[in-house]
Amino acid sequence: MKDMLPYRYHPFNEIVELEGGLFQVNMGPQHPISGQGRFIVITDGEIVYKIEMDIGYSHRGIEKILENRSFIQGIIPLERMVMLDTSNIVMGYVMAVEKLYGVEPPPRAQYIRTIIMEFNRIISHLYALGLFAESAGWNPAIFLWTTADREPVLDILEMITGARWSYSFFIPGGVRADLPNGVKERILTTLDYLENRVRVYEDAWIYNETFRMRTEGVGVLPRSKAIEWGAAGPNLRVSGVPYDTRKNEPYAAYGELDFKIVTHTAGDSYRRGWARVEEIKVSIDIIRQAIENMPEGRIRVALPPKPVEEEVLTRVESARGEINFYVYTEGRDRPYRVKISPASFRNFYVIEMLPTIQTIRFADVPPIIYSFDPWFLDADR
Amino acid sequence: MLEWINEFISRNLVTLIKILGFPGLIFILVFIIFAVWYQRKYLARLMLRMGPVHAGKVLGWLQLIADALKLLAKEIIVPRESMGKIFLLSAITLPVVPAAAIALIPFAKNYMILSVKGFTLPLFLAIMTLYPILIVLMGWSANNKFTIIGAFRSIYLDIAGEIPMILSAIGVMLWAGSYDLQEIIEAQKSIWFIVPQFLGFIVFLISYLAMIEKVPFDIPEAESELVFGYKTEYTGAVFLDTMLGDYVNLLAWALLMNTLYFGGYLGPSITGDPIIDGSIWTLVKLIIIITLTFTIIISYARLRIDQAVRLGWNYLIPLGVLNIVLTVFIKYILLGG
Repeated sequence: MKDMLPYRYHPFNEIVELEGGLFQVNMGPQHPISGQGRFIVITDGEIVYKIEMDIGYSHRGIEKILENRSFIQGIIPLERMVMLDTSNIVMGYVMAVEKLYGVEPPPRAQYIRTIIMEFNRIISHLYALGLFAESAGWNPAIFLWTTADREPVLDILEMITGARWSYSFFIPGGVRADLPNGVKERILTTLDYLENRVRVYEDAWIYNETFRMRTEGVGVLPRSKAIEWGAAGPNLRVSGVPYDTRKNEPYAAYGELDFKIVTHTAGDSYRRGWARVEEIKVSIDIIRQAIENMPEGRIRVALPPKPVEEEVLTRVESARGEINFYVYTEGRDRPYRVKISPASFRNFYVIEMLPTIQTIRFADVPPIIYSFDPWFLDADR
Repeated sequence: MLEWINEFISRNLVTLIKILGFPGLIFILVFIIFAVWYQRKYLARLMLRMGPVHAGKVLGWLQLIADALKLLAKEIIVPRESMGKIFLLSAITLPVVPAAAIALIPFAKNYMILSVKGFTLPLFLAIMTLYPILIVLMGWSANNKFTIIGAFRSIYLDIAGEIPMILSAIGVMLWAGSYDLQEIIEAQKSIWFIVPQFLGFIVFLISYLAMIEKVPFDIPEAESELVFGYKTEYTGAVFLDTMLGDYVNLLAWALLMNTLYFGGYLGPSITGDPIIDGSIWTLVKLIIIITLTFTIIISYARLRIDQAVRLGWNYLIPLGVLNIVLTVFIKYILLGG
């Protein structure tokens, strides 16, 4: 029914008066909350009729760049897709290369990868929580708290990989280096610290009455629509779909570890934020298990000279949801074509479709969008 | 010529000190510089930051002055599509309205700028109702989507906040048996009105947050949605003026809260001089009130406009009426007046 409303789409005009008294409000790319993109919101006063995610402001052609690099060189531009979550992204590509060459990395490398990926998930979720709180009108207290709490994790990652953000640590066949001395104790104390801080976030933020008022029952994504529109990650799981690539199609060391999937049936913005706090707890649990069960042995194996497969599809669970890599090679040491299907891209489609099934108010647009943990760089590639 | 000036100054010395010094112009400006600095430092500590440190060696106290000078040096841009004169005049007038209301507040016994007796509390509330009108003019004349939405939200919020505010003030008037701000303070000698008027105080506190338009009621500004609400199009010195208006507004309402519920200038004597004692106690209580305000600002998310309006009409107004009924019942029937 809302498709028949009398508005005309004006792509680039700043002040547009639409028929029927509708407003087209351009949020971004120079809006306080927009990030590296733009959302076009068409409103009637406070009621939103349409949200359009205008992506492409930070398109860097990563898929094309990968075609001109050897597999191992491709890791570095690929990390620029999501700087918060580099290892999860790189894991998909590295797995694809390993499948192409037909090698299996040693188990110790898989455990080290798992630890780093879960730490990446923690810092990515912490950042998402901070932005979510800020979009709901918080003074940037929560954002700065989460930013400060990422520091000890970044220190650990620096200790293991030598870099704080862009590690280039996973390579086809294993990882670059073994765990340094004394890192296990450091990890365990940091995990205890993070557990305490997560409790603080729950008290100050998740259980905060005004925050619940703002986000509960807002932007509800029902189960059927979540599947139909292809929501990804925690956004899918809180809509009542217990799908997690780590569990459903285990990679790295996830098959040998015991962890639960965070699910809920509400599917609203509040639960999407809550799920990220719960997933931090799950990640802490996974890292503890991985540290405990860490096998001894080699950390990398050499690749054969030529790929044995022509094409391969891999999927990993990044912090924003499942990310797919399709790699096609002509038997050379570089891909002929790489196709990446990022999670944020699919989540943006879900955000665009949300006004078709429920009434959304203008003030709810930023919390809804940030509850999906959008990352324009991820969607742009 | 000079003699005439001398005579004028010597005859009107006290009035001139009141208007230009304390509690007039200089006090308001100094207090705002302090309040902005204090807000920055206090909120920064709660956010695990340092706040300003560079300008001014000690605690960054010169930062606000540096910022003000920077804003003064900037170009004043008037949007082409805006109604230029209203756009500028409404912003320039903004700080004057709450400053005029402050003239009625007693800072010590018989020490206020405008020494009128009688209906000063209704007069204060009446002057403050002009403030939202200026905000609407600002938002309307800028002719920008963000400013217009912000101005409309401001109307909704002010209607939802002002009526409970007046209802809780009526409770205080009934309890004190007077319309006069000074007599209301004098009536609190035995006990501050926050105790007998606690229900009214809760209503007042929430509508106070709505009237100063800070989190959780910074809905007209709403940075994450409306960029800067009705202030979006202002630049340079005029923007500085709107910020000034914000803080004078905060000061006026905080002083009213102090007057109505925290005993105004009352307090044990320190120096023996009633004017200095009263001023000290007023300022101490004022700082406690703005600390409370800033703590609330940091702890909550912003409400949606419909939630804020529903809070005002569904909860605050019935509570305000209940407070009046209870006040009349307790004061005039149980205690016999």
